[in-house]
Amino acid sequence: MAEKELCRIGIEELDTQLGGGIPIGNTVLMVGSSGSGKTTTCMQFLINGAKQGERGVFFTITEPLFKLTKNMAGFDFYDKKLIESGMVNLIDLRIISERLGLDTEKYSVEDASALLDILRDIADELNVKRLVIDSITALCYRLQTREMIRDFIFKLGSSLAAMSCTTFLTSEVPPQVFQYSQYGIEEFIADGIIFLGDVDRQGDLIRTLQIVKMRGTAHSRTKSAMSISSKNGIELAPLLKSTR
Amino acid sequence: MANTLIDGLQERISNAIKINQSVGIILPGNNYADLMQALFKHMRSKPEDAWAYVAITRPYDDVVKQFGNFAELRNVRFIDCISQAAGISKTDPHCTFIESPALLEKLIMEIMDTFRGLDENVDKYLVIDSLSSLLIYNDAQLVTEFFTHLTNRTRLAGVHTVSLVVEEESNENINKIIYLRSDKIIKVRESFI
Repeated sequence: MAEKELCRIGIEELDTQLGGGIPIGNTVLMVGSSGSGKTTTCMQFLINGAKQGERGVFFTITEPLFKLTKNMAGFDFYDKKLIESGMVNLIDLRIISERLGLDTEKYSVEDASALLDILRDIADELNVKRLVIDSITALCYRLQTREMIRDFIFKLGSSLAAMSCTTFLTSEVPPQVFQYSQYGIEEFIADGIIFLGDVDRQGDLIRTLQIVKMRGTAHSRTKSAMSISSKNGIELAPLLKSTR
Repeated sequence: MANTLIDGLQERISNAIKINQSVGIILPGNNYADLMQALFKHMRSKPEDAWAYVAITRPYDDVVKQFGNFAELRNVRFIDCISQAAGISKTDPHCTFIESPALLEKLIMEIMDTFRGLDENVDKYLVIDSLSSLLIYNDAQLVTEFFTHLTNRTRLAGVHTVSLVVEEESNENINKIIYLRSDKIIKVRESFI
């Protein structure tokens, strides 16, 4: 696949494992338990994109914007100017829902459709090439049936792919459990799955990252050790085999 | 007498790392302090080189107490793997503290990060003090694998390694790997004074 068709995450080792990056327009499930690094990875993806001139948007549904920006400010990769200039847009989805007059707890079919429209409109108007929803689990919780979840993710992914927008959806799962989503549907619609987990080594938890699936690219399936530091953000190294 | 020993050690280390990419030093525990003195003397004499020193045998603070303050040595970066695991909470601009000596992948990342972005013309050196101390916290197979990964990466990055093995702490696996992965082995013996 030509390099121009790939969306580089900007995390060197991860891009290498992906054969250069994510096929543009893919919808990728970023799976992990609480504290596994989903939000940080997604934000680094957006910030790195903005540094390459690709506009991005981050829809949060799990934490208020002031907390999100406060947490991210500790990372060297985070550049406040990119937020201020509109290269990275941070939007609280709960506020959008309220403004649309949607029931904030449970969405009807019409609510879901209205929300989908507004997400597409925002992505289109801002001409974003990278989009994050943190988390799809919290959003799916508001959708009342499995059919609604399937329909919502499918339509969202299709629309964004048509705009050549690469999307990360974070998926919350319980710790130490190898499952990809809360509802068992999300992984079948997504083009890619990146699993953030951990392994126990004598009581120390080592963060891990594994690309489980990525349509359109020959990717590595090895489990890597992952580190999160304020200096470099997300970093990967081969996981020593004795712990696998 | 002591100076002769230290000077002799320094000379051997200096000669070995000049021409070899990776040097293994096998020493008895009672020569550890002498070897440290020789190593630090060498580091001080080469301010133009970049050094990373991984402290596994002794905490960084203890190294500073015994071998002097490194604040003036901008070319030496310490990575301490044992202080935090021992409950010692400390920050120091010259040292990176890793939570546990069992986090070997993180150790590799920190080591490589130390040398990232340095001028290609700068000679880069890594001291592992010591490979045998890692056995206290990890099984031998894991340490062997760690050392193999690390030396693969340091070779590619043009980093010279000086890896210590204290005889009393070591075992057959570690002795094998140090011989296999080192271009030159220095065996420290009282007899070579």
